[in-house]
Amino acid sequence: MNLSFDPWVWIGALLTLAIFSFLYRDNPFYKVAEHIFVGVSNGYAVTFYYHLILVPTLFNPLFRGRFILIIPFIIGALYFTRFIPKISWLVRIPIGILMGYGIGASIPATIQAYIIKQVQGTILTPYNFQRWHAGSTGIVWSIILFLGVICVVSYFYFSREQKGILKVTSRIGIFFVMIGFGAAFGYTVMARVSLLIGRLQFLLGTWLGIIK
Amino acid sequence: MKKTLPLILVFIVGILGIIPFLIPHPYVQKTDDFFRNDIMKIVAAFALVLGLGSLIRVHYDKIKRHRENWQYSWILLVTFAVTAIIGLFGGVAGTGPLPTRISSFHFDIQSIYLNVEVPLGSTMFALLSFLMASAAYRAFRARSPEATLLLLSAFVVMIGILPFGDQISHRLPSFAQWIMDVPNVAAQRGILLGVALGMLATALKILLGIERNWLGGGE
Amino acid sequence: MSFMDRMLKIDRRIIYLILAVVVILPMLFNSPLSVRVMDPVQKLFNAVESIPPDKAMIVNFEYDPRDVPELQPMALSILRHAFTRRIKILVLCLYVQPLGMAQSALTQITEEFNKNAKSNADSILYGRDHVFLGWQPPPLVPILGMGESIANVYKTDYYGNQTDTLPLMKHVKNYRNVGLLISLSSSDVPRYWIEYAQNRFGLKVGAGVTAVSGSEFYSYLQTGQFSGLMVGMKGAAEYEEMIAKELHIKARRKASESMPSLTYAHLVMIAFIIIGNIGYFARRRKK
Repeated sequence: MNLSFDPWVWIGALLTLAIFSFLYRDNPFYKVAEHIFVGVSNGYAVTFYYHLILVPTLFNPLFRGRFILIIPFIIGALYFTRFIPKISWLVRIPIGILMGYGIGASIPATIQAYIIKQVQGTILTPYNFQRWHAGSTGIVWSIILFLGVICVVSYFYFSREQKGILKVTSRIGIFFVMIGFGAAFGYTVMARVSLLIGRLQFLLGTWLGIIK
Repeated sequence: MKKTLPLILVFIVGILGIIPFLIPHPYVQKTDDFFRNDIMKIVAAFALVLGLGSLIRVHYDKIKRHRENWQYSWILLVTFAVTAIIGLFGGVAGTGPLPTRISSFHFDIQSIYLNVEVPLGSTMFALLSFLMASAAYRAFRARSPEATLLLLSAFVVMIGILPFGDQISHRLPSFAQWIMDVPNVAAQRGILLGVALGMLATALKILLGIERNWLGGGE
Repeated sequence: MSFMDRMLKIDRRIIYLILAVVVILPMLFNSPLSVRVMDPVQKLFNAVESIPPDKAMIVNFEYDPRDVPELQPMALSILRHAFTRRIKILVLCLYVQPLGMAQSALTQITEEFNKNAKSNADSILYGRDHVFLGWQPPPLVPILGMGESIANVYKTDYYGNQTDTLPLMKHVKNYRNVGLLISLSSSDVPRYWIEYAQNRFGLKVGAGVTAVSGSEFYSYLQTGQFSGLMVGMKGAAEYEEMIAKELHIKARRKASESMPSLTYAHLVMIAFIIIGNIGYFARRRKK
């Protein structure tokens, strides 16, 4: 055992154990650690808002004579009208500007990246067959993929009663969805266990020095 | 006016967002650049400050009115203040006017981040692995053919992706990869197409003023 | 109460203990496992290898402290790969929390390389070999802005230097000078790069993602929108394997070291599900 004498390692270890104590039951140590986390993460964010955004983007150019920046300064300051009930409607202006631009930019991007490209990747073309490195079985996998996508989309089509051919395709679709979700669940287990492994490696390795 | 002005603004700014995709003319691109770099950046910075202000207000209120667990709000506010002071006056790399070192012990913003925030954040999510194990034991049941298929697919992937799977059979990792490449892609793509069409519809509704929930309550 | 009923009502803390023991025991024997490299990771490795010498690579750090075990090994491997090949790197974040992760990874790898360097030419120098651009909100601003001019978006870097004075930035003006962008993320961010940067400017994008969101990104790999993909700790271990085998990089392989614990944990989870289902079906038959 090679115990660490670094004060920061001890602080990290004690905070880790405080959070793990929740597994036994909710307790004051866990609550203290939780509130420290929120306080520190917000203090961290404030630091970088100031040093990376406000100073180089607003204050420095403004003091060097770029007075046009007063316009976004005023628009941004309208956010604080949220706390003044009489003029709180003004907060809709900066929200509208940021949201409007985001929505506008997303429309052509969504059509191209999420719809056109995804449909291109699904249709049965020699180019798509070649994308599979499995050789001639690539044609079989492409057909399965094509049928799978159509069946899954038909499963989520609720504008018509699901009977006849639609019932058959949506039943096949649900099987594809279940296989996909099962795969996602398998990956999720790996993700969660990885987080536990990371923490235990810190406690047993960095703190207690039991493992290398 | 209180609702009309923001709706008109969303429409105009939304069109400003679409045009640069369609018109590559340098004048259009430069205007777009100016709007993004000089206006949006600063407005967005204030949005973040607002979030912080709300957090402080909520906890200050909790302390003032002695609501349940108000004592912990003190911890939050004190740690927030200490971290902010160290970061603002100590600088991003610990080179600010406030000294952030006593002998070989550093307490600059990066040290606080790595030794306080990282352990806390990591451990909170590490708890999920235990909760998942408990849920797996108590709740994951093969009640129907679909649920059975889900569990079987999960088992194949969970074993196939690991070196152990390769030792059981050389084909198992390839089969697990096939599940990710074919049926999983079919399922995810079907869902993605639906979500993308829904997103488009919602975006158009907001742009055209049909969807007004974002305005919030009141006049 | 029958044996099965007692088994099903077992205290959850015993389940937690079993999981903890099963994860800890393999750690005590420290035996990293070699992993088979699958196609998605191979593609990403090849994409990095095929970056032309006159182009840079952007690494987008987009993960929080909670994703360190999965994504930090990916980040370290990518940086080792790039620095070994002398590929110039720009590092940036679209949100504030990952800044610390980016700085930590860059510091670790530059110290590792400079420890063995014999001259300035061998060393990894800030400003010449890599630049940490920092963070500029909201995400759309840098994603779209860098298509025209990177220095316009990031007027100063993370440390406060004027970016247009840095040697690297004299050659890297916008996406036309970038060969590949790799986004290491626990959220939707890799999609933003495809949606905006790739669509409009033709930027090649690769991704390293957590296993929770990993299954969603295979659709983009299949269409070629992602040049390559690493998923979770297994993906990180595969990349570590690639750089050790192909580039003979000798470094600590944290993801590979975790494979034994991961294996036993998975087997225990499967056992829990099977036992739970046996009990469920036994009870149902009794009724």
